Amino acid sequence: MNIQFKKGVLELCVLALLDKQDRYGYELVQKISDRIAISEGSVYPLLRRLKTEEYFTTYLQESKEGPSRKYYRLTDKGRDYLQKLIKEWQQFSIGVNELIKEGVRGE
Amino acid sequence: MNEEQFLKKMDVALKKLPDAERLDMLNDFREHFAIGKEEGKTEEEIANNLGTPNQIAKELLATYYLEKVDDVSTTGNILRAVWAVIGLGFFNLVIVLGPFIALVVVLLTGWVSAVAFIATPLMVVANLAIYPDSFQYFDLFFSIALAGLGLLLAIGMVYATRFISTGFVRYLNYNVKLVKGGLKHG
Repeated sequence: MNIQFKKGVLELCVLALLDKQDRYGYELVQKISDRIAISEGSVYPLLRRLKTEEYFTTYLQESKEGPSRKYYRLTDKGRDYLQKLIKEWQQFSIGVNELIKEGVRGE
Repeated sequence: MNEEQFLKKMDVALKKLPDAERLDMLNDFREHFAIGKEEGKTEEEIANNLGTPNQIAKELLATYYLEKVDDVSTTGNILRAVWAVIGLGFFNLVIVLGPFIALVVVLLTGWVSAVAFIATPLMVVANLAIYPDSFQYFDLFFSIALAGLGLLLAIGMVYATRFISTGFVRYLNYNVKLVKGGLKHG
């Protein structure tokens, strides 16, 4: 995990946000940066990479206000990958939490 | 930095890319600015949150070139990918350029030996032409054996070259993911 893991988290967040519904870039970036400190711009190269790896497809859709927006839609391949990442993440976070419980003097 | 300055910087940093690709990348950011402004943010605020256009462009370039190498791994594409990955940070100079030079040297050595082995019978013939008296059967047979060895080596090198370049591309990919990290504080 380690450094790969950092990258994996952002990837996991993007894919997770797309599981229930299609979203546009700005929306994805905002949702993530509301909770995690990132340079927002770094999400866009990630989006392009995940697209070339066929984890999702894009389409343009008109919006009522302003220009049309690029929406991202998860593919089956992306969904499988998301499940794998979620499993890894859960194991990892359970492990970390257990260690904290064991190591930190609590109440 | 306002929107125009941000996009301008990014455009310059991406100028090596084909127009279609570059415009598509810029469009993502134009859209980002447009929606941000609808939500009442200033251009400066949006640009600040995005980070520096140069760094983002570097990540875009690296991703683009690696994708290219995956399609067709020509020497030019591999070289461009190497430069793109090095561009991600000085740190990479050591861990990318080092192995790259080492691998190129190994491949070059193999190829030069193969060619030299294959050429030995020619040298025997040339030697014969210059000093007809010095002919020895041993030289002839030994050179033919070497030429055979050279042919085998050349065939081996074809596979080695292919194997090493795909392996290296994989290493580059890993590297880009590693450097990109994604999580930056502040």
